[in-house]
Amino acid sequence: MIDLRNLSRRGFLNMGAAAGTSLLLPGGLIRPARAAEPLAAVAEENAVIAFGHTGPVTDEGWTWSHDQGMKAVQEAFPKLKTLFVESIPYSADATRTYRQFVSEGANMVFATSNYGDFLYDVAKRSPEVAFYECDGRNPLENLSTYYLSHWYPTYVTGVAAGLMSKTGKLGYVASFPVPSVFSGTNAFLMGARSVNPNATIQVVVINSWFDPQAATQAGTALLDNGCDLLFGIMDEAGYLQVAEQRGAKAVMWNTDIRRYGPKAYVSSIVIDFKKYYVEQVRLRLEGKWTPSQTLLAMGAGVDRDAWGETVPEEARKQADAIREKILGGWSPFTGEIKDSKGNVKVAAGQTMTEEELYNWDWSIEGVVGL
Amino acid sequence: MSVRVQRFPSAPPSAALAARVVAIVLALLVAGIILAGTGASPLKLAGQVIKATFGSSFGLEDVGLLVTPLILTGLSVAVAQRIGAWNIGGEGQFYAGAFAATGVALFIPGPSIVMLPLMFVAGAIGGALWILIPTLARAYADVNELITTLLLNFVATLLVYWVATGPWLDPGGQALATTARLPHDIPEFWGIVHWGFPLAVVITILVAAVLAFTRWGYEVRIAGSNPQAAKYAGMPFRRHLILVMLLSGAIAGIAGMFEVAGTVHRLQGGISNNFGYLGIMVAVLARGSALGVLAGAALMGIILNSGIILQTQGLNVSTVLAITGLILFFTAIGDELAHYRIIRTEPAKA
Repeated sequence: MIDLRNLSRRGFLNMGAAAGTSLLLPGGLIRPARAAEPLAAVAEENAVIAFGHTGPVTDEGWTWSHDQGMKAVQEAFPKLKTLFVESIPYSADATRTYRQFVSEGANMVFATSNYGDFLYDVAKRSPEVAFYECDGRNPLENLSTYYLSHWYPTYVTGVAAGLMSKTGKLGYVASFPVPSVFSGTNAFLMGARSVNPNATIQVVVINSWFDPQAATQAGTALLDNGCDLLFGIMDEAGYLQVAEQRGAKAVMWNTDIRRYGPKAYVSSIVIDFKKYYVEQVRLRLEGKWTPSQTLLAMGAGVDRDAWGETVPEEARKQADAIREKILGGWSPFTGEIKDSKGNVKVAAGQTMTEEELYNWDWSIEGVVGL
Repeated sequence: MSVRVQRFPSAPPSAALAARVVAIVLALLVAGIILAGTGASPLKLAGQVIKATFGSSFGLEDVGLLVTPLILTGLSVAVAQRIGAWNIGGEGQFYAGAFAATGVALFIPGPSIVMLPLMFVAGAIGGALWILIPTLARAYADVNELITTLLLNFVATLLVYWVATGPWLDPGGQALATTARLPHDIPEFWGIVHWGFPLAVVITILVAAVLAFTRWGYEVRIAGSNPQAAKYAGMPFRRHLILVMLLSGAIAGIAGMFEVAGTVHRLQGGISNNFGYLGIMVAVLARGSALGVLAGAALMGIILNSGIILQTQGLNVSTVLAITGLILFFTAIGDELAHYRIIRTEPAKA
């Protein structure tokens, strides 16, 4: 687990100023402005833990993975009560749902997606409740953020993709132009370009995280356009099935869903929040909870899945060698990196910091449509 | 003597009210039976909903916040109905109003005391402009406004998605791309409920009063119930139609301005939360009465809020939608049945 407190300071200056709650200490340490008094301990039998999800828990993807986390919490602390609501829209309804959690006595509220202001509006009015925002960027005194450094396994699968794609044209089914999508497309293409410098990636944005029909259409359009390997950030298996039917390949997200397209399946960015959730709930129950900012590292919450049956031995070997190298501390996100307009954004020899990767909001050269 | 059932064009108020109550009770009973079938305890759930909604200012504030846009989108439909027009485009006008208000807020500097009224006006103009083409098409070419207003909803929805994910995108990174936070908030009135709520009520009362007590309102009502008669009596039907439809669009646009400046604070796709379409339901529940809109919006707000409470109680979102649908379905049937009366007739004597 990477604790963001030990990471460099740029960007967090802005975050702290925006949230008005964080103080930057020398060396890039982030601490809450009020010398964080931990929230009071809660007896297990009185504790209420709530989860607010963006999709259905049956999606076999993102939301399912978080639901597994909740089940791990239930197993570790069988006496506490859990609540969850699925498919919360990114609208004022989210505020209402999170308020309802609080009014039902929740001690901890996990938002498994970044609901932004809809969540902060509730958190600011409920200082005794510990809030969490997955993929969040605005820590508050009672709100922790947590996410995955998914760009590393994405780079690894990108290497395999670069070796497997015959046309060098990759496709990406995107939700919204948000940092996860920028870091996903960029890391994937950088991996592919490390073995095929002419590779490009074409992006289709479908304005949803869970819309199997739109994802399927987007996948079809990308293949029609000459792409032969698809990646994306969907909570379900839509474009994998398209790739299987069309004899193309696909890299997925969240879980091992190879049974929907065993021939097309290359790998998946697999995620696991169980350990993190159990640990955080333990802190709250024991009265040691203070806000934190966490990125689960490759091998400790996020990783590539076991390779698909049609991935050639050579591609596996080369990609896994890169994975070992990254685990050993090497970063592929080292300059020179140009944006899609040709401007040098990262100078030669300079390595992007963890929070620059987290907040990536521009496309590298070779990305089309984002 | 024979007995027959006859439909009357208008339902007596007592019958209408009775039909409403019976319909809601029946819908809840059916929902309860279904819930009991799935193993939940309907009584416990009902108790939970009542406690969470009315037992604390928390629940009432949530309802107030939901009701605010519903009052205005409902009023928008009800106003157009007065002159016999169906404005199905409340959703699009809502988006257009929110879009215009956001543009003013983000790109014109100024203190909130000046900017909020300006955003209000921009919202109203945005909504009115969005219904302008359907209005002119209806007034001058007799193009059915039901279709044109509906289709423009999709244009407005996508327009807002485009600006929020494109030119006006705030790269800060929420799961759903949005614009930057607006620099001006409508101040809070009670708890989390902003001043849009009392304003929406005042606007409704004003519109109802204008329609009920002015010559213009009278002519609009006549024109709505019988356009031929209105034209024959020398009333400027076309002018009234245009004004009423623009007013209808402006009201929905104001709803959008309230939502973005009071509740959401950022323009984003999906900001309407279907309030435009739900406004049609509100107007139907209100039976086209401008003041009835307040009651209709309150009922709809309570139903929507109950939906959220039920979800935290472990009910699936689809189940909640089904219950909402049941209530509206039974209400619609009840409203229709209220028009019927049993008539006894003496056979004519030879």
